[in-house]
Amino acid sequence: MNTIGLHAVGLLGPGLDDFETARAILAGTAPLAGDAINIPPVRLLPANERRRTTTTIRLALKVAEEATTDSDRSQLRSVFASSSGDMDIIDRICDALTQPEPVVSPVQFHNSVHNAPAGNWSIATRNPAPATAVSGYNATVAAGLLEAATLQQCEGGEVLLTCYDVPSMETFIRVRPIHHAFAVALRLGPVEGATWRLQMDLKGPATADRCVADELEALRESNPAARALPLLEQLARGTAGHVTLDAPLGRSLSIRIEP
Amino acid sequence: MDPLVITAHTLTSAAGTGIAANAEALRSGTSGLRACDLERVNLDTYVGRVPGVEAIALEGALAPFLCRNNQLAELGLRQDGFAEAVAAAVERHGADRVAVLLGTSTSGIAATEAAYHRRDPQTGALPPDYDYQHTQNMFSLADFVATRLGLSGPAMVVSTACSSSAKVFADARRYIAAGLCDAAVVGGVDSLCGMTLYGFDALQLVAAQPCTPLDRDRAGISIGEAAGFFLLERPSANAHGARLTGYGESSDAHHMSAPHPEGLGAATALQQALDRAGRQGDEIDYVLMHATATPANDRSEAHALIHRLGPTPRAVGSKGLTGHTLGAAGAVGVAQALASLAGGFVPATAGLGHPDPELGLDARAETEERPVRRVLVNAFGFGGNNCSLLLEAPQ
Repeated sequence: MNTIGLHAVGLLGPGLDDFETARAILAGTAPLAGDAINIPPVRLLPANERRRTTTTIRLALKVAEEATTDSDRSQLRSVFASSSGDMDIIDRICDALTQPEPVVSPVQFHNSVHNAPAGNWSIATRNPAPATAVSGYNATVAAGLLEAATLQQCEGGEVLLTCYDVPSMETFIRVRPIHHAFAVALRLGPVEGATWRLQMDLKGPATADRCVADELEALRESNPAARALPLLEQLARGTAGHVTLDAPLGRSLSIRIEP
Repeated sequence: MDPLVITAHTLTSAAGTGIAANAEALRSGTSGLRACDLERVNLDTYVGRVPGVEAIALEGALAPFLCRNNQLAELGLRQDGFAEAVAAAVERHGADRVAVLLGTSTSGIAATEAAYHRRDPQTGALPPDYDYQHTQNMFSLADFVATRLGLSGPAMVVSTACSSSAKVFADARRYIAAGLCDAAVVGGVDSLCGMTLYGFDALQLVAAQPCTPLDRDRAGISIGEAAGFFLLERPSANAHGARLTGYGESSDAHHMSAPHPEGLGAATALQQALDRAGRQGDEIDYVLMHATATPANDRSEAHALIHRLGPTPRAVGSKGLTGHTLGAAGAVGVAQALASLAGGFVPATAGLGHPDPELGLDARAETEERPVRRVLVNAFGFGGNNCSLLLEAPQ
């Protein structure tokens, strides 16, 4: 594929409040301290809409907002990539459906769609540009990167990629052990003026890179969105390098990174 | 844009299993809707239920994928020589050069609903035979189809509610243009489940009688299920068929579950599809509308059509045949458009008693036999997610 530009990064995970303050942790010069995570309300949404958001929407929009600070959000294409979508709502609705007279909350139902963060983002930013929502199971980050890079190459302009997964509820934790929320956003665009240049290639089976730091590696394994961490470590190091991620159907995504 | 050729396709819906049965139902206006008889669903409504889905066995490597959505996918893949056409494409291009880009809104959630009914009464644990990855997870559909057809190209599931299986056509165009693959299996599958039936009921969008799109007395949707698959390739000596010549995508940026009242996002998507194809509105034979039969949806979409195509555009709503198949709606619309292009007819709007004069559309209760060259297909979803596709007859 063509080389594309990476203009900004957003990040939220346990002990990782945003990309700039997490940079030292990702570069290996500071330890990951604690696993606290604070998912703030969506400032860009009107109060009425803000009350109707879910953890999934707040998680995704926090990093989307961070990666688009000081940029024009009104025409930005967006790709929202999540392995599992809103597992909280799926749990609540499936539970409600076991009752003799099921009652499903209308707000929960409209927020249950995989593109609920995408819809809320377009409303929050008054952005009529196309938005999409994708999944590639544990290779969702690579699927999202391919989708975003393809959009940038074919349609031009900037493309916001947001990858996120919320922790599983109690009922799901044994079949889908995701213990922490994690989200990352990448603002991709033309090479001109970009902080990093990415050259991506979809290749055959190859072993995905692990994180350099053990505690980040544990995070990487625990949440499909955290599969982006080796890429974030390389970005934080500020040097040229190469990262391999798992892609869907047993393939791999090779990414060459140049500052 | 450079068009793509649809070299094979198949459709299974409540209106028929396979493209011949669906085309006949489309031409004759024969509805597949019937009173809801789903287990554990006690709602006064009609559904577009595909017969025989429960009887489909998935064996060997496909066994872990067992759920209604993948059973419906399998039933669809057995029709119209589609799997054989994909095998031939693999011979031409290689298994790793055929993408799998599919849409669904709820994937295999029926399996999760059933598992919740079988939770351990003491611990609340899901039953040991429940397989999250291969059923409920969104990617399950693409994983199943890739495994079934032996494909290893770029793969993903697009899940943007009811525009999902329309947007994958635009993705296929981009993936082929970007050199990621030489062909793509696209389409979508959505299947009946308690979540969507009770969810749409909670939003008061479900009709008690079979849905009547574009009708003066329309009173909401009937929910259906369908599996539609398409093989897309670049035009070549080996690739003949109807063509995808344009696509348009947009967001309403208005509301999560209500359309923009003036249909602004829909109008943008429609215009983009025309622009990409280099066509004017008056070159389109008709629009196969999203037309879900809720009062607000049909009104919003009619505004968009009139805004871009002029007064009283020829318009067809087809959900009276199949029900609203949600994430599969785009695939159903494209397959119906292909039937109309091949068969030379503008379909009736099934269930239309009194066309709503306030919509300002030319919608008819009778099928019109005449050559058809170009059809715009609309699919719009929750989150204000819009997609329009332009399909043209073979060159």
